[in-house]
Amino acid sequence: MRLLGDGTRRRRTPPWPATPSGTLGGGVAVRRIFWLAWRDLTLELRGRAGLLSVVFFLTVMLLILGLAFGPYPQDLRKAAPGVLWVALAFAGSLLASRAFGLEVEDGTLDDLLLTPGGKEWIYFGKLFFQMILLLAVGLILIVLTAGLFYLPLAAWPGLLLTLLLGTLGYASVSTFYAGMLARLRGREVLLPLLLFPIAVPVVLSSVQATIGLAQGLPVGEMRHWWQLLLVFDVIYVTVCSLLFPWVLEG
Amino acid sequence: MTDPRPDLLRAEGLSKRYGRDWVIRELDFSLARGEVVALLGPNGVGKTTLLRLLAGLVRPTQGKVSGRAKIGLLANPPAFYRHLSGEENLAYALRLEDRTPDLAAIYQILERVGLPHKKTVLSYSSGMKKRLALAKLQLLAPEVWLLDEPEAALDAQGRELLGEIVQQARSSGGVVIATHDRAWITGLADRQVMLGPAPGGAG
Repeated sequence: MRLLGDGTRRRRTPPWPATPSGTLGGGVAVRRIFWLAWRDLTLELRGRAGLLSVVFFLTVMLLILGLAFGPYPQDLRKAAPGVLWVALAFAGSLLASRAFGLEVEDGTLDDLLLTPGGKEWIYFGKLFFQMILLLAVGLILIVLTAGLFYLPLAAWPGLLLTLLLGTLGYASVSTFYAGMLARLRGREVLLPLLLFPIAVPVVLSSVQATIGLAQGLPVGEMRHWWQLLLVFDVIYVTVCSLLFPWVLEG
Repeated sequence: MTDPRPDLLRAEGLSKRYGRDWVIRELDFSLARGEVVALLGPNGVGKTTLLRLLAGLVRPTQGKVSGRAKIGLLANPPAFYRHLSGEENLAYALRLEDRTPDLAAIYQILERVGLPHKKTVLSYSSGMKKRLALAKLQLLAPEVWLLDEPEAALDAQGRELLGEIVQQARSSGGVVIATHDRAWITGLADRQVMLGPAPGGAG
C-alpha cells in the first residue's frame, strides 16, 4: 500500500471501472493476445527501421567483439556463448522499448486499457510479440555467432531449446518493465537498469547451457540448466502477468 | 421529484492531484441515460482529466467513479495506429472486442463520415482523424460517450455530422462533451457543467 502525502491510503483496485463483460473467457483472451501480437508485427514490418536497426547494431557489435577476441578460433569459440547472450540481452532491451513505444507514439495505449475485461491479455500479447522478435533475432545471432565465433551448431536442438527458454524468461521481465515505464520520459535509459539485474539468473543459466553445448557435453548434463530456466520462466511469467495490470495506470 | 432516468455513470467526491496541485477537488457528477452533458471551463481547469477519470484511465486521488456501462473515449487529439489505414484501425478495434469485422459496415461508416478506406492514418489531417474517431465510436457503440473537444478541427459539415452522431448516441446511452464552444454546445446539451479552478490548484 502506497501512502500518499496527505496521509490517506490509496485503494489497490484497478483504475478502470468494472465492465459488463466481467472476466474474459479463455477463448476471447487468446484471440485478443493473437490480434495484439499480429497488429504489433504488422506495424513493425511496415515501419521496418526498428528491427533492421537492431539487427544492424548487433551485427556491428559481433564484428567488433570478433576482432577483439580473435584471431584464434579456440579463443573465439570460448567467447561465443557469452557474446551470443550479451547480444540477445541488448536486443531484448531495445525491442522491449519498441513494444510499448509504438503505443506511446500513437497514443493508443488508452484504447487497449478501455477494452472491456481484464488487462492481463495486454501483457501476454506484448510478450508474444516480443518472443517472436527475439526468437527471430536469436536465430540470426546464432548463425552470425557460428560464422564469426565458430559456435558449433551440431547440438542445434539443444541450442534452440536454450534459446526458447532463455528468451521467454528474458522477454517476460522486459515486457513487464517496458509496460511499467511506457509513459515515462527516459524509459530507454531506465529499462536496462531495472531489467538486467532481474534477468541475471536467466542469462547466466542460458550462457551455462550454451557453454555446455558448445563444448559438446552430453545433453543430459544440460538438463539441470534447462530445468532452472523453466522454473525462472514460470515464476517470471506468473508474477509479471499478475502485477502487470497495476503498473499500467496513467 | 426524482429523475426517472437511471445513472449510467456517477462520480462522488472526485479529486485528482498531480504533485502538489489539485486539478479537480471533491466533484460530484452524474450522467443519466439519454442525457448529453457539456463540460465547460477555461484551459487547464481539468476537463480532460475529468473525462479520463470517468473513463477509468486515471486513478482518482480521492473519491470514486461508479457505473457498469461500456465506455468510449474520443481523445483530443484522437489516437490511431498511423501505419494502418482507417479501415484497418476500425477492423482492429472490433477484433479487440472479439467481434468479427464486417467490411461492408466499416465501409458504410467510413463513407458516412467522408473518409477513404485504404489511406493510412499517417496521411490524415486533424479533422479526418476526428471523423475516424467518430466512426470508431459508432462502430463500437459504447453506452457512455466521452468526447474531448470533438468539434475542434472539424469543418461546418463535420460539425453537423457530429451533432447527428451525438443525438444518435443519446438514444442508446449518454454523452459527456468537453468543449470551449458554448455557442455550438448550447443547442446540443441538456445540461452544462462549468468547471472552475480547484481550491489549492496550480491556477
